[in-house]
Amino acid sequence: MAVKEKIDEIISSAAAGAAACKSVDEINSLKVRYLGKSGELTALLRGMKDYPAEERPAVGKLVNEARDEINALIEQKSAQLKAAHEEEKLQEEQIDVTLKGKATPRGSLHPCTLVKEEILSIFTSLGFSVAHGPEVETDFYNFRQLNIPKDHPARDMQDTFYLGNDILLRTHTSPVQAHVMEENKPPIRVVCPGKVYRPDDDATHSPMFQQIEGLVIDENITLCDLKGILECFAKELFDKNTKVRFRPSYFPFTEPSVEVDLSCSVCHGKGCRICKGTGWIEVLGAGVVNPRVLEMNNIDPEKYSGFAFGMGIERIAMIKYGIPDMRILFENDVRFLRAFK
Amino acid sequence: MKVTINWLKDFVDIDIPARELADKLVGVGFEVEEIIDPRESIKNVVLGKILSIEKHPDADKLVVCQIDVGTEILQIVTGANNIAEGDLVPVAKDGSRLPDGKTIKKGKLRGVESCGMLCSGEELGLTEADYEGAGVYGILIMNREKAALGTDINDVLGNDDVVLDIGVTANRPDCNSVYGIAGEIAAVLKKPLRAPKLDYTADSASKTEDIVSVEVAAPEICRRYMAAAVTDIKIAPSPEYIRKRLKAVGLRPINNMVDITNYVLIEMGQPMHAFDERDICGGKIVARRANNGEKIVTLDGKEYSLTDNMLVIADAEKANAVAGVMGGMNSGIREDTSLVVFESACFARDSVRRTSRSLGLRSDSSARFEKGVDFSCQPLGLKRALALVQEFGCGKIARGVIDVCVPIPEKKPIVTTCEKIDGILGIKIADEEKLSILKSLRISAEVKDGKLICIPPEERDDLESANDIAEEIIRYHGYDKINGTLMDKGRQTVGGKTRVQRNEDKIKEIAVSCGMHETLTYSFISPSFADILRLSADDLLRHTVEIVNPLGEDMSVMRTQLAYSMLGTLASNILKSQKAARAFEVASVYLPKDGKTPIEVQPEEQTHIVLGAYGKDEDFYTMKGIVELILKAFGVDVKYVRSSVPYLHPGRSADIMKGNKSMGYLGEVHPAVARAMNVSERMYIAELNIDLINKYEKTAYKFEPISKFPPVERDIAVVVAEEVSGADILDAVKSAGGAIMREADIFDVYRSESLGKGKKSVAVNMVFRADDKTLTDEEIAEKTDKILAKLKDKLGAELR
Repeated sequence: MAVKEKIDEIISSAAAGAAACKSVDEINSLKVRYLGKSGELTALLRGMKDYPAEERPAVGKLVNEARDEINALIEQKSAQLKAAHEEEKLQEEQIDVTLKGKATPRGSLHPCTLVKEEILSIFTSLGFSVAHGPEVETDFYNFRQLNIPKDHPARDMQDTFYLGNDILLRTHTSPVQAHVMEENKPPIRVVCPGKVYRPDDDATHSPMFQQIEGLVIDENITLCDLKGILECFAKELFDKNTKVRFRPSYFPFTEPSVEVDLSCSVCHGKGCRICKGTGWIEVLGAGVVNPRVLEMNNIDPEKYSGFAFGMGIERIAMIKYGIPDMRILFENDVRFLRAFK
Repeated sequence: MKVTINWLKDFVDIDIPARELADKLVGVGFEVEEIIDPRESIKNVVLGKILSIEKHPDADKLVVCQIDVGTEILQIVTGANNIAEGDLVPVAKDGSRLPDGKTIKKGKLRGVESCGMLCSGEELGLTEADYEGAGVYGILIMNREKAALGTDINDVLGNDDVVLDIGVTANRPDCNSVYGIAGEIAAVLKKPLRAPKLDYTADSASKTEDIVSVEVAAPEICRRYMAAAVTDIKIAPSPEYIRKRLKAVGLRPINNMVDITNYVLIEMGQPMHAFDERDICGGKIVARRANNGEKIVTLDGKEYSLTDNMLVIADAEKANAVAGVMGGMNSGIREDTSLVVFESACFARDSVRRTSRSLGLRSDSSARFEKGVDFSCQPLGLKRALALVQEFGCGKIARGVIDVCVPIPEKKPIVTTCEKIDGILGIKIADEEKLSILKSLRISAEVKDGKLICIPPEERDDLESANDIAEEIIRYHGYDKINGTLMDKGRQTVGGKTRVQRNEDKIKEIAVSCGMHETLTYSFISPSFADILRLSADDLLRHTVEIVNPLGEDMSVMRTQLAYSMLGTLASNILKSQKAARAFEVASVYLPKDGKTPIEVQPEEQTHIVLGAYGKDEDFYTMKGIVELILKAFGVDVKYVRSSVPYLHPGRSADIMKGNKSMGYLGEVHPAVARAMNVSERMYIAELNIDLINKYEKTAYKFEPISKFPPVERDIAVVVAEEVSGADILDAVKSAGGAIMREADIFDVYRSESLGKGKKSVAVNMVFRADDKTLTDEEIAEKTDKILAKLKDKLGAELR
């Protein structure tokens, strides 16, 4: 049957043509050539009238099948070519992925803020709230309510900037304790961060620095609880192996009073420049709240007890980040600040 | 407090090295700040004799010496020229160590071997006061020494004692003495405490009361006054050991009488004064308040004017001493003094402190009184001084002692329980151990009917409550026995930050996300800020809180704004060649409530944030963008109106207004201000009152359903006069737009010659939407016409 052969010939020539196509345009013109209105298969259909009527359905079927086959061939090739074309385009659009992004570069929090927030988050997770008080204080709150009467030798421990007769720049965050006790009933668990002032200015002292004070008052609070809480704090702030050591000391508002040393987080007790070879770093002052202070603040010392602690934020920042001179913290050189993103 | 080991050994046996003793003292609360052991600082330095001195073959200024150091002859090269053959000199041998930390090694000097060094007095840490000739420039010549050649120089110098510098806390005034420290050491080492030598025989023919009488006219500040006379005095140097001990603790030996007062001060903690009887007019000692304006010239030769708050020790006519602070010029011991009256008194701590502070006059005596001297000290000190007189054999002791004293309050027993002590500490300590610790501290203690009853010794004024007793016990039981617990018996509490505290964190986080670095500057600034910021004479920001005792002029007033500090920060970074920077700071400003200097009431403290920036990409709008970001984060709607802040560019600055209240400002820094800070860059600054942000914060979020109906957008461009502001145009657009106007924004401002001078074209994008229907073109057109009419009517705007 000549028709069948002719059709097969068309199919194989279309297949060869498709295989040779190199672009979407070529495949489109191939499609027109074989399947278009003046295409070869269309011409066969047009010549249908030349066939005997009884053969026409079979021829028609053959032609349609061939059309489907060629169409599939072309579609397949077309898809292939489109994919290749897209791939090529994507390659052309290649960029340098190592160049920097377009967002505003992030600024930074001051290292003291980083330390302060880290400390606050440790204590707030332990059920402490955060309290603030005025920086310009009265002699009453800064000293007398903390068991430091006028002309008491303990005043020599803290030189003071005076603004008026009984008005001063607070020398510690401890007066916030007094405000908290005045305004709250036990149980009290509070940390009080803030700026404090003393007339000192050298590599390890700044006339303005920051402290965090802690106060707990409840029934049955002991010196062991103070140690436990500070151990918890030290392990979080430095590392899991940090140890806490108490040394006897004196503060007018605590009794017993202790200096609190932490094992050096740099050398782990072996001795280094930071801990001056001792393996320990003096970080906090603390103690059991003096019953006199409770009494002065209208809390019954027979029923309640508590502990208090205080630490310098700059000092901890210096230890944590290896900053050798406190004055660097106040120079505000952006090259220094950028490191704390 | 400096003490020496040998001195301590007068009272307690010490059989451990100084270092170990220091550690033990730290363990019970006495910081040992320094251990000064001359034998540690001078090692392998011996006495040598110069046998010969020859010229160095290759150096004009050097000589080569042969030195006999007993066991061998050493060749040493030196540059000194004060030596002669036969001189005795200190020789630092190979491997020796000097007080400045230097070690001496064998070596060659210009090719000639030198086996050590000859030392100067200074190199051995000696001054002229320590050793005659030590102050001379050159080698220390020790020709009067009799010791054998090769003797360790420490033995030659008599360095056989170690000094401990001990920090004594303010609650332990009783330990500001050798005897007091010895008491603690006795408890630490569990050894007995030996009493000081107080015995003497009154061997003078005279009686104290015949020589002098004592009247205390101000017993409230002169609590006790004891006096005793010594006759037939021979002024001479003190015995060698006394002078050595005084020097070791930093006091200059003077003569036997003065040295006794100083020795007793250090040993017993009792300040003493020795009056020459000839200076006590009328044989009468009166302890009285000074008359206002009364003048006295003290031992240091300076004249002071006194007030009636101060105590003086006077005679029938004049003041002879500022009590407890310093003696008068006319009351000192002289070479020919033959009759002395010793004063051993208890002056009130706060009175001495106030007097010393207000006169600006300090002495070892005032320092000691300020710490607090207890009533047990005066008889102890006086007896010790008289015993020393007898020991030195330098005078005869008059019979009888005068003692004028207020009634001494009896020590009240501290009544508590052993359980209470354990409860404070959180650990159980055996009751026997408690009692034994208290006993070792000379606190009488017993358990009776379940109570723990403690009576502190006379010198311990610091012990008042169960907590004090608990501290004494744990100090000696050991703080290492305290085990950490986590408030097992306490109640749980809700912690965390308040809204206001979290707001501050949020503001800081926004600033950081905008590329700003947080700074930290002092709250006190220079008063010159006001002129640098061009503040007018009546500007409220000029009214500062002043520091009465500032560290310096440039840190003498509390800041009323943060701008000055921020400008300082920006300027310092510009001067360090940083091309661009963004910075912020959150801090307080201090606004006086009264017009007084010094202030009489606490000022208002406001929390502000200041933002600062400079660099080629910065302008007014980059700064405004950050300000808007912060305010919008708190839902605070504000208006920006042209500002007259004097330190800002008048054309490029805005006040940030909430209604008619200013929340702050922003703008470009005035070039004159920048110049005053030595920079020429344009700087941008903003300052916001965070307290007001907290006040106006919209704290509640409200759900609004999303409209099903589509929005319609329209753009219009109108031509207006230059002075019409964007805010004016948007206000008019929004008010005419009514409820269906959802958003209106300016997206372009255009100026050209064709528009004409003083004109600008402003393009506005408008978004319309209704909640209940799709808007028709007709409705939008009608609204747009209305808006254009309003713009024309109110602002003279023409559709472009």
